[in-house]
Amino acid sequence: MKNFFSKPYRWAAVFSILLMGAVAFVLLDTFAIQKALVVVEPESAMVANETAASQSDPVISDNSYEDDNIKISIETVRDDDSTIYVADIQVSDASYLKTAFANNTYGRNIKATTSEIAEAQNAIFAINGDYYGFRDGGYVLRNGVTYRNTARSAGDDDALVIDKDGNLSVVSENQTSMESLSNNWQVLSFGPGLVENGQIVVDSSSEVSQSMTSNPRTAIGQISALHYIVIVSDGRTSESAGLSLLQLAQEFQERGCTTAYNLDGGGSSTMYFNGKVVNNPTDGKSTGEREVSDIVYFGY
Amino acid sequence: MFILDTKIKSHKKKIMKTALVYLALSLIAIVINDVYGLFGHGVHSASMTWMFLYPLLGGAVLYLLIFLLVPDIARFVAYRMFYNIYNSGIATLSLGSFLKGIFDIAGTSSVYIAVFYAIGELFVALGLVMLLVLAVNLKKSQA
Repeated sequence: MKNFFSKPYRWAAVFSILLMGAVAFVLLDTFAIQKALVVVEPESAMVANETAASQSDPVISDNSYEDDNIKISIETVRDDDSTIYVADIQVSDASYLKTAFANNTYGRNIKATTSEIAEAQNAIFAINGDYYGFRDGGYVLRNGVTYRNTARSAGDDDALVIDKDGNLSVVSENQTSMESLSNNWQVLSFGPGLVENGQIVVDSSSEVSQSMTSNPRTAIGQISALHYIVIVSDGRTSESAGLSLLQLAQEFQERGCTTAYNLDGGGSSTMYFNGKVVNNPTDGKSTGEREVSDIVYFGY
Repeated sequence: MFILDTKIKSHKKKIMKTALVYLALSLIAIVINDVYGLFGHGVHSASMTWMFLYPLLGGAVLYLLIFLLVPDIARFVAYRMFYNIYNSGIATLSLGSFLKGIFDIAGTSSVYIAVFYAIGELFVALGLVMLLVLAVNLKKSQA
């Protein structure tokens, strides 16, 4: 063996093959290999039927929906050289603000487009979530069930908490245990928080990771009890530059939001309404929806 | 005497060649970072930006020091073992840094990155100990 490796390049050849194999494995493990950890049981048929019975006939147009429990209106505006889709949503109960996983499965690299997940849930309105399945850290609590209690590293750990009354708040994962949040309705982990107590809490240098550019964005905010604003902006195209986090925060503040939180953006940013994708999703290279781990939606 | 001179020249040439290869790899690492940056939508990663330091400082500079200070250690049979282990360490650290850069820019992470750094640092440490032992033995033999 010693003689074998003493020849020039033999060690290099063997080690290079091993190293390339390790690199390929890590890339596949991170980006491709699916790991299903929990399959979410669908709501029982009885509960679903009871809920459906409580719906009145909705009034639906291209950009609005209204029934006894859910009222949605979507407007498209141009601001900051970007096309921005703003949804004003009011519900009668927090239980109509839901989340769902791709393929109803919590895990790593389990993905589907926002519209596919939304259709599977009969969602009326949906946006992409926090893409939790792309990371190992970050709290995940959905529809009242805790799936992940690993906090992200300090400084990049704002989590969105939606309590059982439907109120939004932003907490630091390092300063708040998952145990203390477990009685809430939803916890999403992306960030940062944009508006807290009516004040903008990002500045012109704030960004997701180290990015400093304008991007497609998805974010959710709250005006008052059970009254929400959801904003998705197009970006990375000649028609729409995209928003900085500060510009996004200003959009929420101008609309009277007391709390607002940034969700996964870039190629993930998608707004779905009544069977159609509203915005123009793109990652800057190709157009069309990117597959994501999860959605936030309004529906029954 | 003439034959011995030729051998030493040959060893020095090999060491300088290794240093130059590492210098070229440093430049390639800088180019990779710049090209990757074009597709990163302004997102940067320190791990990818600075990965060229592994082949530059750990490779080119170290072999330049060997060339200037103790070129004759290349005559030892064990030099090949140092060469293999140390270079493997630098390669592992460089690729670990590259992977971390890719994951940082994509907004994800992997627990296996720590394994790359651990193996890389272990190999580099082993290599440096071997280099030190070789250098001490060389000085002793020359004394």
